[in-house]
Amino acid sequence: MATDEKFSSIRKGLLEFLLLRIISADKVYVAEMLERLSATQFATQEGTLYPLLSKLRREELLDYDWRESDAGPPRKYYKLTTKGRTQLAELNRYWKRINTTIEELGHSE
Amino acid sequence: MNRVITVNLNGNAYQLDEQGFESLRAYLDSAGARLASNPDKSEILSDIEQAIADKCRRYLNPHKSVVAAAELDRILAEMGPVESEAGGTAADSEGQRKPAGDPQPRTDAPRRLYQVREGAMISGVCNGLAAYFNVDVTIVRIIFVALTILTGSLWILAYILMMFIIPDATTSEEHAAAHGQPFNAQQLVDRAKERYAEFRQQSARWHERWRRKRQLRRERRAAAAERAFWRGERAHEDVGYATRVLAGFMVPVFSLIGAALFVVVIIAMVSLFRTGGIFDWALPHEVPVWAAIVILAIVYQAVHAPLRAASRASYEASTGQRHGWLAAADGVLWLGFAALFFWLAYLFIPEVRSLFESVPFEWRHPLATWYAL
Repeated sequence: MATDEKFSSIRKGLLEFLLLRIISADKVYVAEMLERLSATQFATQEGTLYPLLSKLRREELLDYDWRESDAGPPRKYYKLTTKGRTQLAELNRYWKRINTTIEELGHSE
Repeated sequence: MNRVITVNLNGNAYQLDEQGFESLRAYLDSAGARLASNPDKSEILSDIEQAIADKCRRYLNPHKSVVAAAELDRILAEMGPVESEAGGTAADSEGQRKPAGDPQPRTDAPRRLYQVREGAMISGVCNGLAAYFNVDVTIVRIIFVALTILTGSLWILAYILMMFIIPDATTSEEHAAAHGQPFNAQQLVDRAKERYAEFRQQSARWHERWRRKRQLRRERRAAAAERAFWRGERAHEDVGYATRVLAGFMVPVFSLIGAALFVVVIIAMVSLFRTGGIFDWALPHEVPVWAAIVILAIVYQAVHAPLRAASRASYEASTGQRHGWLAAADGVLWLGFAALFFWLAYLFIPEVRSLFESVPFEWRHPLATWYAL
């Protein structure tokens, strides 16, 4: 529990990065994103996700298409833009550097 | 049995019971408030509505057409609170954002002095003062009684004046303001500035209103228009605190002027009746005394009517709607002033004194005459 709290702001900050990673793999809609995240430490909710997605879209990192679904109304399927891919590559590199730094500093038990 | 409310969620109709409807509305209202500065607000809100609708559908089947309140609460818990801007920086976590400044509702309303009628002995002056200084009302009452004794009842006058000057707390905001937060010196200075600005703004508005009404009056001329001018003046609808204090202050002033006017007219009438003139000034020969009295009465009415209307407008501004109480107290005050002026006139104006003494004894002392019979 205490560990969970220590990393809460980091988890929150990483959410954007993780979303870009999820979307980069395939076109996805919101329910899928939530499901992919639900089993992880990054489980989140619509109330958080929609504002974040709209912010990323405003930054032109991603875009969406409307696609018919068999059950219910059409859904928004999100995909990365070229700018989004460039950004993701940068974030990936940066994340690797962070990992290396953490490994190099001190010893893990 | 529960009432069912049909809502439109992003273009689809759903039926909720009343309680569920209230929680949904509260959720969407708070979402809207947090997204207030978001350029994509409407799009996010419709996405959110759509997501809620999708979840609602889970609870519906051909034999169940209403989403129950408990189900809706579960849905909203799943949705989670809508965040103003999720995951921007690491510092964005719970509660740390406040300094960055999304506008928070002001909880520390400035404290103001009001009369608090609930639990009051007389008019709520002591109650209001107790709330203002955050002390027990009993202490304030003891101080008031002590002051009354020490000042030889003069403090009662002070109480009556406070009754007029301090506005009534009628709305819940005013009650909250009567008990408001403690303040420090800086806030006190700020508030004084604020009140001054408010006062200036209000008086400018009143002036403007008065000017506009006067123009209206000029255009119409008729007496009916004048009545509309005073009656139609709904002064209390958006007057500020400072204006209400001013209005409360004006009530006894109007009353004082009214009483003085009354005394002057009565003395003039008696003088006319007894001597056929007003003190040294004698009536021209061709004007009969009754005509002079009628003219005097008309002049009195003409001067007195706007005064009375102004004081009535002040009641309304000072107390909000219920001004019957204040009007009654004002009547008593008026009588007091009138008696005081008669007495002063009798003491210091020899003409009035001789006039009074020229009135037959049984007029002056009706009670004595009554007992003598």
